[in-house]
Amino acid sequence: MSPALRAQVLVGAAIVSAVALVGVYLAAGGSSYTPEKTQDPCEPRAWSNPQSLGEIANQFSNSALDGAACQLGVSREELARALATPEARERFTERYGIDDAKLAQAIRAGLVRAVDDAEDAGALSPLVGGPLRATIEEIPLDQAIELINNARTIFGDVQGFLGPAGDLLEELLP
Amino acid sequence: MSDAAPRPRAAALALAVGLVLADASIVVLALPDIYRELDTSVAGVTWVLISFNLVMALAAVPAALIARRVGPGRTAAIGLAVFAGAGLACGVAEDLSTLILARCVQALGGAAAVTAALELLPATVGSERRAAAVWAGAGATGAALGPAIGGLLTELVSWQSIFLIQVPVALAAAVPILAVARHEAATGILPTELRQTGRPHLLANAALAMVSASIAAALFLLVLLLIEGWRLTPIGAAIVVTAMPLAAVLGSRIGPLVPSAKARAAAGAILVSGGLAGLAYLPKAEVALTLPPQILVGIGLSLVLSALTETALSGRAPQAIHGGWTISARHAGVVIGLLALTPLFTADIADQREDAIEAGTAVVLDARVSPLLKIELAQRVGDRLEDEKGKVPTIGPVFEPLPEDEDERAAVVELRDELQDQLDRGATHAFSPSFLLGALLGLLALIPIGLSRRMDL
Repeated sequence: MSPALRAQVLVGAAIVSAVALVGVYLAAGGSSYTPEKTQDPCEPRAWSNPQSLGEIANQFSNSALDGAACQLGVSREELARALATPEARERFTERYGIDDAKLAQAIRAGLVRAVDDAEDAGALSPLVGGPLRATIEEIPLDQAIELINNARTIFGDVQGFLGPAGDLLEELLP
Repeated sequence: MSDAAPRPRAAALALAVGLVLADASIVVLALPDIYRELDTSVAGVTWVLISFNLVMALAAVPAALIARRVGPGRTAAIGLAVFAGAGLACGVAEDLSTLILARCVQALGGAAAVTAALELLPATVGSERRAAAVWAGAGATGAALGPAIGGLLTELVSWQSIFLIQVPVALAAAVPILAVARHEAATGILPTELRQTGRPHLLANAALAMVSASIAAALFLLVLLLIEGWRLTPIGAAIVVTAMPLAAVLGSRIGPLVPSAKARAAAGAILVSGGLAGLAYLPKAEVALTLPPQILVGIGLSLVLSALTETALSGRAPQAIHGGWTISARHAGVVIGLLALTPLFTADIADQREDAIEAGTAVVLDARVSPLLKIELAQRVGDRLEDEKGKVPTIGPVFEPLPEDEDERAAVVELRDELQDQLDRGATHAFSPSFLLGALLGLLALIPIGLSRRMDL
């Protein structure tokens, strides 16, 4: 093989190797190996078939977080982290310049959206949804946050959550 | 030239060159430890690398001129002594400023030793061509082995040991050179040679600078990805990056088969860029997937560095001055690479960490575990992220002990794996733009290589 041909073979082999490596890695998903994008909280979140009380409660919490986050213009994930501890909540309200009243208003709106979603998914009877909405509009911030964190109380203990009206409504749960 | 036997002197000179040029990269694997121990920032700790390379770039040509004036033997011996003394200072430094200052002094001594070595080698090994080959080979070996040796020392002993171990090695390399220094003192040097300096090979040196920037990106970023992103130990990372020097050995076997320096330089630059682009598009956070790109970079760096150094030195006298230019170009390239990449990947790491935390939170929220367990896990994950101060954490311990209920345990294990996957995705992707920039710098080297008429294809 002549020196000129060897030179061409070397450069050609380098190009082929480089292109092949990048091509194989791209084909294997190299360009999409990134953290998954989180969903826009203002978009409706589909409820999968609720199999258990715990799963219904999870989906209710997520819908409530979506609704509140949409109202505040933040992601559901950021709001969830903010509500994990009082310190995180304080940092969050300071960062966005909002007070507890505005936060409470957003969370109540989120809970109302969760009731709507639960009704749409058939997880909650409309007869329960009405009084629930009315109750949600009145509850204080800490209780609203607790409700997101442990939505099971709504579905597992309607009587406890709604008070005397719960006796009747519990009969009507699907 | 002197009474010292040529073989030990050649070995000492090669050792000196290898030692100094290894120092440009030897601290790469120690940077995470230095970062934590000296309580500094990522950008700050990068200056432990940048300072050395910057001073080498600035001092190489003046050091070569000094070597021509006062004698290469004396310059090399004094340079090695300064290098050893500054290495000691680096090893005992208790803050970043002292360490960086000592690194600057170390580079001054190193520049003197390396350029003077090139002046001494022709008489020692028999010809200028062979001297250039020994000099370039020793430098490439040192630069390639540096990170692995640094990683081993960091894990087995401490980051300080990287510098302290250089003290006896540098002094040992100086011993055979002392005979030359004594001979120079007795006989003097020839002043006529001082005026024979030709112009440096601009295109070869420009290409060297670009490709060195690209190689710095490969070494520096890969090590950070392995240790900070994928949580490997320094010794683990050292073993992984050994693939690059091993591939460089293979490249050094291929090189002699192709006489055209231009072809070797072009092929090398393409391979380095291809390897870096491969690292930018890793499809998973797995160590094995870094091996094919490393092999390309290793073969490429061997081909391109030897071809460009050979071209820059070929037919140029005096060798020390032109060797100084190549040292200057290579280290300037490393500095440019690090300065361009540091702000980019620092910002990307912060962004990707945020994205990974968002994605991880989404995984926790959507997980099929009880809400109360979710809250507890979320708090523990948050604490873990806080404790790691920007480093991507190993998330497994947060989930211990696993729940006893079989269904819940399966759900928690699934959650743990998904969460770790999101963090790994974020850590890996954070380096992609920097690897791509490194690849681009390597491709840019093709412009001066293509323009150079003295490297015939």
